[in-house]
Amino acid sequence: MKNALILASLLVLTSLVVFGQGYDEQPADSLVYPIGVAGTVYEDMELGVRGGTLTYASIEDPKGWNNHTAHETSTTAFTNRMLRGLVRNDHISLAIEPDLAKSWEISDDSLVITFHLREGILWSDGTPITADDVLFTFNDVILNTDVDCNSRDGMLLPDDTYPVCEKVDDYTVTFTMSTIFRPALNQLGFNIMPKHKLAQYVHKLNPAVPVGTFNETWTLDMDLTELVGCGPFIVTDYQPNVSVTMSRNPYYYAYDPAGTQLPYYDSEVTAIVTNSDVSMLKFRNGEIDVYGLRAEDIAILLPEGARKGFQVLISDAPAFGTTWFLVNMDIGLAEGTDAEKREVYRNVKFREAMAHCIDKETMVRNVFNGLAGAQWSPVSVPSPFYAGRDYYGGPITENNAVAFEYDPAKAVSLLDEIGVVDADGDGWRDLPSGDPLTIEINTNDNTIRTASCLILVDDWRAIGVNATFQVVDFNTLVDRLFGASGDFIYLGLTGGNEPNSGANVYNSCGSLHAYRYSACDEPDEIDLRIDELLGLGAGTFDLDEAFGYYTEYQQLLSRQLGYIYTVVPTFQYGYYDYVGNAFKSQPDRTPSRYTGLLGELCFDKRL
Amino acid sequence: MLTYIIRRTLYMLPLLLVVSLISFTLIKIMPGDFLTQARLNPQITEETLQQQIDRFGLDRPFIVQYWYWLKNIVTRGDFGMSFDTKMPVFKTLFMGNRLQWTIFIALSTLLLQYLFAIPIGIYSATHQYKPSDHIVTFFGFLGLSIPNFFFALVLLWLLVVVFHVGNFGLTVAGVMDMRYYGAPLTWGKIVNILWHMWPVWLVIGTSGMAGLIRLMRGNLLDTLSLPYVKTARAKGLREWVVVYKHAVRNAINPLVTILGLSLPNLVSGSIVTAIILNLPTVGLSYFAALQRQDENVIMAGLLFFSLFLLLGNLLADFLLAWVDPRIRYD
Repeated sequence: MKNALILASLLVLTSLVVFGQGYDEQPADSLVYPIGVAGTVYEDMELGVRGGTLTYASIEDPKGWNNHTAHETSTTAFTNRMLRGLVRNDHISLAIEPDLAKSWEISDDSLVITFHLREGILWSDGTPITADDVLFTFNDVILNTDVDCNSRDGMLLPDDTYPVCEKVDDYTVTFTMSTIFRPALNQLGFNIMPKHKLAQYVHKLNPAVPVGTFNETWTLDMDLTELVGCGPFIVTDYQPNVSVTMSRNPYYYAYDPAGTQLPYYDSEVTAIVTNSDVSMLKFRNGEIDVYGLRAEDIAILLPEGARKGFQVLISDAPAFGTTWFLVNMDIGLAEGTDAEKREVYRNVKFREAMAHCIDKETMVRNVFNGLAGAQWSPVSVPSPFYAGRDYYGGPITENNAVAFEYDPAKAVSLLDEIGVVDADGDGWRDLPSGDPLTIEINTNDNTIRTASCLILVDDWRAIGVNATFQVVDFNTLVDRLFGASGDFIYLGLTGGNEPNSGANVYNSCGSLHAYRYSACDEPDEIDLRIDELLGLGAGTFDLDEAFGYYTEYQQLLSRQLGYIYTVVPTFQYGYYDYVGNAFKSQPDRTPSRYTGLLGELCFDKRL
Repeated sequence: MLTYIIRRTLYMLPLLLVVSLISFTLIKIMPGDFLTQARLNPQITEETLQQQIDRFGLDRPFIVQYWYWLKNIVTRGDFGMSFDTKMPVFKTLFMGNRLQWTIFIALSTLLLQYLFAIPIGIYSATHQYKPSDHIVTFFGFLGLSIPNFFFALVLLWLLVVVFHVGNFGLTVAGVMDMRYYGAPLTWGKIVNILWHMWPVWLVIGTSGMAGLIRLMRGNLLDTLSLPYVKTARAKGLREWVVVYKHAVRNAINPLVTILGLSLPNLVSGSIVTAIILNLPTVGLSYFAALQRQDENVIMAGLLFFSLFLLLGNLLADFLLAWVDPRIRYD
């Protein structure tokens, strides 16, 4: 750890050279995190002291430093610490809170959102952050079709238009929408990029550079002293396959209630460790302070924690995301085959039988060492809209759950009822016509999914369904998913707070409506109602009203059993005792990639 | 000799062309492409995907894609950009001294392998069928048969969990402590590199040593049974003179040839070890490209490894002519 201190002091020296000196005094418009303030979600945190280095591990190298052309979390894990947006999802309460904007108003017709930016706050090179940066990022980067930007799709309103961003004055911007769309407020939290550094690379603003130059800007080989951000840390050193070092932004605008500027740590070092077993060894060796651990690590780390001085934290609820298998209700449709099988798959009683035959308890115990929870809804459990709550953001009660309890006897009677019985006496159930019924479930080469599938197949075979399991290459699996050429497919999707962000999956014409693409052309009543509810939920700023729509949506979809949900892992990680405030985390990160720790609020207790 | 080397170098070009065509075909046969992951992201629309397909030219016929790839290399020396990092492919592969580390690890391992394998082979041959011969042979085969990834993990586990090296401020994996990267070369840095390199040498080195030991042993045994060795002994030379000055000199020739051939193996064959031991090598960045189906980088990586293979063969032929006066290429 002495080494870390030397490193830290070196970094402080270099950062003084690279950056400016910081604010002379706390800006009037600074953001204050209510650390330790009673009655807030931050009340159990402690005020920290500045200094020290926090060390993480990441499994992959970043692919660049350009936030809006990044396509994967190995890059955004860093750019998200360098940049900030107008609004943020609070780390702990998950509510939308002010960030670069100090406040906002929504017009009476709910179509115009006016943001008031903090005045007197600066980019890491000392340039003021103004409305021009917001306009640049939105109009010239995100909406610019020359730019290879995924977040553009997130801005699309249900009527296929984009919000219109306009400048009122240097510190006021408005976004005007043609239709009411509440999730837009969340989407407008996109990371703002510095116009004074980047405008020169956008062809539209500087015709001297070729089209697409922006896509090749801020790549890994750039001069890192050119990087400018507004988040707590800025990347100051990158060693491929080794580490990324981020140093404090002297102009970060967040403070604690005692007037100490955040972040507390001088620097964060992310070691790039390609193998998870090695990451764990490095954590146990004291080389990394915080480790997003896997279910299989628990048995080793728990007994060692007290001796070595680290804690293992396990969240009590599952993390964001969904895990499911789908029954391809369009099987053979394109080729004109499997008509009878398709008929059976489309019978909701068949799917109910399958759903009653999922031993989620065994899955949680055997596959996840107990570190997972059962899932029934398309909405992630931590979302405030999750229908397992009684009201928006309320505690999880599961009063409204549509759970298909593990009941093989019920599955048997359902299958008997629809005529899927053993006609020829070979021990396997057949289709109503007497033709044999065989089911193949596919997943990719992933130990957790493979183990889960084996449990499913065992349970189905126990009630006489001739199911087999086959691992296929991930890309083949995705081809089957999109080509509707699979049988049963086991996979997972990422999830977030807002149910409408899953519209692409659950809307009957969604590009990932993989259990029944034909629903787009011939939707039934339930499909139509689901489409309607997704729109209604997003079309109101009244959260309780939206919660009502979304609850009905979740219940309908779960009864329809297109995607049949299984279990999702909880979120857990280990941290050394000397890392203050480490017990709070953002569980929406994949543990193996990024710990989700609130680095800007953590501090070194040994200082 | 010079004309021979020039001729051989020219032969490499058509060979590399064939390699590139086969590699390109294999990449295209693989299911899915660079955008497969993106297709599973519910936030990305069809239009965006189509834009990307156009940008990367992924929907053009296979032979057209190959033609453009080849044309850019021949006319502009442009091997393309990485889809992933938006940097030129060789920068993506070699960035951060990866090439230097790859060559350093390969050459130092090779040196150590020979430094240990030759004396052990000689010892083994001169002590044929004695218990000590069996013991060294046994350990040689042990090194050969333990999978590298497993050996590497066990080593790290021993260091961390059994010997608690963390208590002494020592770190594991990588080629040095993170703080030394980019720092000037000092004695502290050299010692630190040595501490990190010994597991690398042990894991990669032992996997190839058994073969060398057996080869040295077999050759020496053959040579020792030749009439000129009997003559040497008959004229009363001391045993060590017979073995080292007369027999070993002749028995070592095939090992020199193999030196050239093992070089490419060390470069491309140590990827698995590099993953576990976190070595910043070309193999690791190539592996990352494979995982993401970053086509241009995979192609560049394959060509790079093929070039090493061809150079290794050339080196082998050259060395053979050098050590064995009977061989003439002209």
